[in-house]
Amino acid sequence: MWLYEILQGGKVLEEFLRPGAVLYEDNVEGWQQAVDEAAQPLLDAGTIRPEYVDAIKESIAKPGGTYMDLGSGVALAHARPEAGVVQTSLSALHVGQPFLLADDPDHPITTMFCLAAEDANKHLSLMQALATFLSSEANQERLAKVSSSQELESVLTAVEQ
Amino acid sequence: MKILTVCSTGLGSSFMTQLNIEKALKQLGVSGVETDHMDLGSATPNDADVFFMGRDIADSGQGLGDVVALNSLIDMNEITEKVKAALERHGVQVPGKE
Repeated sequence: MWLYEILQGGKVLEEFLRPGAVLYEDNVEGWQQAVDEAAQPLLDAGTIRPEYVDAIKESIAKPGGTYMDLGSGVALAHARPEAGVVQTSLSALHVGQPFLLADDPDHPITTMFCLAAEDANKHLSLMQALATFLSSEANQERLAKVSSSQELESVLTAVEQ
Repeated sequence: MKILTVCSTGLGSSFMTQLNIEKALKQLGVSGVETDHMDLGSATPNDADVFFMGRDIADSGQGLGDVVALNSLIDMNEITEKVKAALERHGVQVPGKE
């Protein structure tokens, strides 16, 4: 089965990005702060519980936790649904000055998505939209140049999938 | 032939990599290759012919067999190139188009 061919089209990213869930900071003190800030809109909306944020941090701190680094300065912060996901949702934080995922100089990050996946199936369309978006070099370049939350939002939502 | 993508949770990074590998297979014009994603702890050597994962967990995955380490999970050039090499390694015909 070609998952990739399912659910083509539609503005899926926009659908899952909650209002106010797109953030910009010039600087963060480290990856922990980045996770806290990226997760806050989902906490505020009640789509994740506080323990989900703890689970993400624990994962990152463990050996191999940098698997969340997707490349091109983009990280996908996430943990298992049972760690505290209430509803499938997504938020994004762009930081002007790169921070180091897991304090590892090999993993400088400028954009962190916080993904809450309710279960393995419901986030199919969201992941497909995100994969399509992020695997485009043009989008990677646009993302790298973001300098405000409004700009980040327009980059993430203005693109036709 | 089956390609499995692996990450620590088996939900986010590995799923995204699976979708990008499917995109690469489509671009390469190859059909009939099965794909799936899983967490590193659950994957066994019998689950697939080739295992794709991020470079940081590739060492932990070595026992799985044919392990391909990716520097980036969203770089389509790298993914397409490494998928093509894996297909050729396993005797799958890749049509000449990119």
